[in-house]
Amino acid sequence: MEPSRAYLSPPSFLPACLPGVLSRLEKLEARARALALKQEEAEQQQRQEVARLRARIKQLRRRRDELKGKVSLQQAALGRREEATSSGAEPVPTARVQERALLQWKVETVEAMLRVFYLTGISGKLTERGVCFCLSTAYDGNYLDSYYLDIVITQPVRIHRHSVPIFIPLKRIAAKYLQTDVRCFLATLSAHLNAYVGRKYQADYLQKHFSAFLGGHWQKNSLYNMLAFNYDVTTESSTFPFRVKLLYGDLDRSLPTEASVSCKEDVPASLLEKAATHSSLFMNMALHKAFDTFRKAAETPDNTE
Amino acid sequence: MDVTVAEFIRRTVLKVPRSHIPALLQAWGFLPAARLQALDVRPLKEAIAEAVVQLCQENSASIKEAAVLDIVYNHTFQNKRVWTVYQMTKATGGETDIFDFTAFKRKFKRRIQSSLINVTINFKEFEDNAIWIRIAWGTSYTKPNQYKATYVVYHSQTPYAFISKSINRSNLPLLCQALIVASNYGDIREMELRSHCLDSLKDIVFKRYSQTFQTHHPKPLQERNVAPENVDPRLIQEDKSEKERIQRVNQEVFGDGPQPKLEFAQYKLETMFKSSPKMVNVSERESFRCLVKFSSPHLLEALKSLAPAGMADAPLSPLLTCIPHKARNYFKIKERKGVLAAGLVSP
Repeated sequence: MEPSRAYLSPPSFLPACLPGVLSRLEKLEARARALALKQEEAEQQQRQEVARLRARIKQLRRRRDELKGKVSLQQAALGRREEATSSGAEPVPTARVQERALLQWKVETVEAMLRVFYLTGISGKLTERGVCFCLSTAYDGNYLDSYYLDIVITQPVRIHRHSVPIFIPLKRIAAKYLQTDVRCFLATLSAHLNAYVGRKYQADYLQKHFSAFLGGHWQKNSLYNMLAFNYDVTTESSTFPFRVKLLYGDLDRSLPTEASVSCKEDVPASLLEKAATHSSLFMNMALHKAFDTFRKAAETPDNTE
Repeated sequence: MDVTVAEFIRRTVLKVPRSHIPALLQAWGFLPAARLQALDVRPLKEAIAEAVVQLCQENSASIKEAAVLDIVYNHTFQNKRVWTVYQMTKATGGETDIFDFTAFKRKFKRRIQSSLINVTINFKEFEDNAIWIRIAWGTSYTKPNQYKATYVVYHSQTPYAFISKSINRSNLPLLCQALIVASNYGDIREMELRSHCLDSLKDIVFKRYSQTFQTHHPKPLQERNVAPENVDPRLIQEDKSEKERIQRVNQEVFGDGPQPKLEFAQYKLETMFKSSPKMVNVSERESFRCLVKFSSPHLLEALKSLAPAGMADAPLSPLLTCIPHKARNYFKIKERKGVLAAGLVSP
């Protein structure tokens, strides 16, 4: 209390109670001054710290550049040494290169072999629980869909999953062959699938490319083993509609077992003969090829067809 | 032409959105093409419907043609109905027979009409080998109700039939009987597979959906439109390997192609409630009955995107991923005998 009063004496005209307030004020002022001092010190310390860190950064950068320089020098030296000795003595790098080339060749051969298996139509891959077969189908030089069978090797062998269409009699073929002769099973299934795909291809091709000849009234079923449609036969004079019904009794063949060509009763006898020839034609060659011969015959008109 | 037939045709045309009317009438194939082209589709639908009825009257349409129009309408808008899948089994391992459509129709009609005289049955075959059967039911003293018909879709030489949910459950056994007799099968049962999208149901049971199989020859992936990401070289993805693993697992389970469209999957739990021993023992004696239903506009796509979106762990629970493989979306989960864990029971 005493020192503060020493340099701050209240003016004479103020009442006697004021010294308490003024002393309070003095205390506050002293506190503010102390805080300001502390803040200045803290700032100074911070500035020093920042300067120190900057210096450290510069130091570390210099060190990093030095090390980088050293590394690049070493690499250059190594490169030069490798070049100098590549023609002869060092056995380790070239052996590695040779090994790699050999491995690559082996991988390529195996891949080619797998591709060949795939192209044959029946290929497979071992899985954890069994084998996954891929049956790829083809007809008339075109590769068509692939169907998959996931087989689990347990006792008894069973089919876990498959992507075979539902109307192919998979269960029947499996019941007959799967447990005893897997090869026969796969061969039969592959034959069925290829035949189905072949029949479908013929029907679709016919509808797409020979629509000018066709008359309509298409009848078919999911397995494409019954096909019936009308088509037009042109002679010199007029056009006659024929109706053909093809039955594919053997599910693993893409040619019909029965072909009945019919036409209206009031047609000339030559056309009846034609119907018979057409019938045998359908039995022996693919649908679109048969229609190809018709088209050729129509383009070069002759009576002997 | 009968007044009821005219009214039925009028109401059917009114149901069709205006833009589809010309295509629908053309697919129907009853009205002559020239008159169809002259049909004005600009005025109000009531006027169009009246014009169509007039044309039908001129061509003397009967209930048969009206029913075919109804079939064509439902074929175009097939996703408005809920379809249930039924599976038929052969009693004997018979040889595959050549499917004869006329014999099928004859046997079907004969079987139904031997029990019920007052029915209208119509058939129509479509391009994808689908046979649509429409049956309007009546009773011994009422005429068939044309507005509440049942639809059956059958593909020849397949053991599946798709029946649209109709309100009249009492005629269902007769319908099933007729189906078995007509298609030479021995037995029929309802599968636990229901959806709005008929094509997706067909994809599931005919195994046309995309499944992944392990093969040495992966099919070349279709080019997908991946927008080039703005890769800021300063950004490092910490969980890149995890994301790739999730992507790989997802692809193994779901495959690459589009998933069949289902709207819901329902799981009925009949398991015991497993809780801490502190809770009351009494409640543990009974099964905890609970029904979990997942619904979505496209359920399987939603499940497929759960793991990449980070909302579920990959691989997903097999209860969810086995839906297309087991061809069902209604499940009953019971206790596995002997081990206290939830098991999957297929009835």
